[in-house]
Amino acid sequence: MSEERKFICVSCPLGCGLTVTLDDAGEVLKVEGNTCARGESYARSEVKDPRRVFASTVRVKGGKLPVCPIRSKTPAPKGKLSEIARAVAELEVNAPVKIGQVLIHNVCGSDVDIVASRDLAAV
Amino acid sequence: MSKKIDVLIIGAGPAGVAAGIGARREGAENVVVLERDWDLGGILQQCIHPGFGLRTFKEELTGPEYMHRFIKQAHDEGVEFRTNTMVFEIDKATNTVWTMNKERGIEALNPGAIVLTMGCRERPLGAIRIPGTRPSGIYTAGTAQRFVNMEGYMPGKRAVILGSGDIGLIMARRMIWEGAEVEGVYEVMSWPGGLRRNIAQCLDDYGIPFHLKTTVTRIHGQDRLEGVTVAQVDDHMTPIKGTERYVECDTLLLAIGLIPENELSRMAGIDIHPVTGGPVVNDLLQTTNPAVFAAGNVVIVYDLVDNVSDEGLIAGASAAKFAAGKLSGSARRIPVKGGENVRLYSPQYVTGETDATIFMRVTHPIEGACRVFAEPGLYSQRLRYARPGEMNEVKIKAEQIRNLPDLQEIVIDIQPV
Repeated sequence: MSEERKFICVSCPLGCGLTVTLDDAGEVLKVEGNTCARGESYARSEVKDPRRVFASTVRVKGGKLPVCPIRSKTPAPKGKLSEIARAVAELEVNAPVKIGQVLIHNVCGSDVDIVASRDLAAV
Repeated sequence: MSKKIDVLIIGAGPAGVAAGIGARREGAENVVVLERDWDLGGILQQCIHPGFGLRTFKEELTGPEYMHRFIKQAHDEGVEFRTNTMVFEIDKATNTVWTMNKERGIEALNPGAIVLTMGCRERPLGAIRIPGTRPSGIYTAGTAQRFVNMEGYMPGKRAVILGSGDIGLIMARRMIWEGAEVEGVYEVMSWPGGLRRNIAQCLDDYGIPFHLKTTVTRIHGQDRLEGVTVAQVDDHMTPIKGTERYVECDTLLLAIGLIPENELSRMAGIDIHPVTGGPVVNDLLQTTNPAVFAAGNVVIVYDLVDNVSDEGLIAGASAAKFAAGKLSGSARRIPVKGGENVRLYSPQYVTGETDATIFMRVTHPIEGACRVFAEPGLYSQRLRYARPGEMNEVKIKAEQIRNLPDLQEIVIDIQPV
């Protein structure tokens, strides 16, 4: 028996409808519906280890704005997103903030760093 | 006397910053971008989610990261920016641009060419006339996005989203990540307004229900929003009796469309297209006032910022040529007509002086093989589908137009095959 899973590719704005066929052991037999290599690797990742880029804000002390946008530098495990959201919500940083600056290293043991996604000057 | 401005650009969002770069690269000496905010980047500074610039940079950036790269390029190219500067009038007789700034006071600028890059605004609640009360707790999705991502406020705890434009979908996920509930997204049409991937990654990932052919028919609550009535609609978009349902919520976010912002364009005396809501332009992105150019969402609302930046570069370059007297006044003006299944498109004229990309949206979705084309025989491309929420393109080479000296009209359309 094989299992089929269908979902939309989120790798680019095209949003291709993907169909992944898995064998009994959960191994990928084939990927259909993708129109590029990114789609193929997204499909494989999505059935084995789904990941998303996490983006939010952290509170800033003494900045031009009260919050600074952040992102996970690389896609984070989907199952850990709410835990990561809580860790980010607790953080407060001091201005100035530089784009790319690591704010949380290895967030929630995920091997993913949280980085600032803009420059934010101090007042 | 300050030195003469060659190209003056109004708005430092993605289109304006790119226009600055385009103008400098084309050789304009003094290129100035005016911005009314204290910061550069426009709306992308509040679009903190990833998904921008895959085509331009081959990686997915957040809005602020995308703008960071373009702003750096603009500085490197020698573009001058003036922030906290508001344009309050354009005199169409002289193309004088009147500006206001706390330090500089009121100034009258007479540039060699003007580029309009003011972007667009969200369609407000008043545009759709929902019966009921007018309590607090009702925001356009972009206003809520600014509150959450730049001002650090949450608009509420339990939200209903009306309309399925991309900003609404993005805000649904954002509200969840900030600990709020999202009861559902309601779309009056039978197809989504935004991209399919945003339905997948913003709604499906979090189990947020998405209701097509359903709308909000009444607003409840005195001081603060207490709930909304939702109902399914028939093919004429009339609510169907018996399908009404009361939904408790303290927040209603509206993602019901974007409108090009053209108050200044009208002052400049240029023709506004009745369907796009933006200036009528040719493929050089020149408006009906020859000294005024326009690019980005002020012209037609795009899906992707990559397209906005590309158009900005073109408009900036064209404006630089005009300011230097290098744009021939005798350019051809071949009208582009939209076929049966074209709701809107831009540019509306082709000159043959440059390769042209015509952006368009279909009126009705085609869920199957179809063809996007430009007649007579100028372009044809097969598509797997065509949807109103996803723009399509027609590309025409300058050489093709030059080879057809008697060409009177170009017709673009998308039809099933």
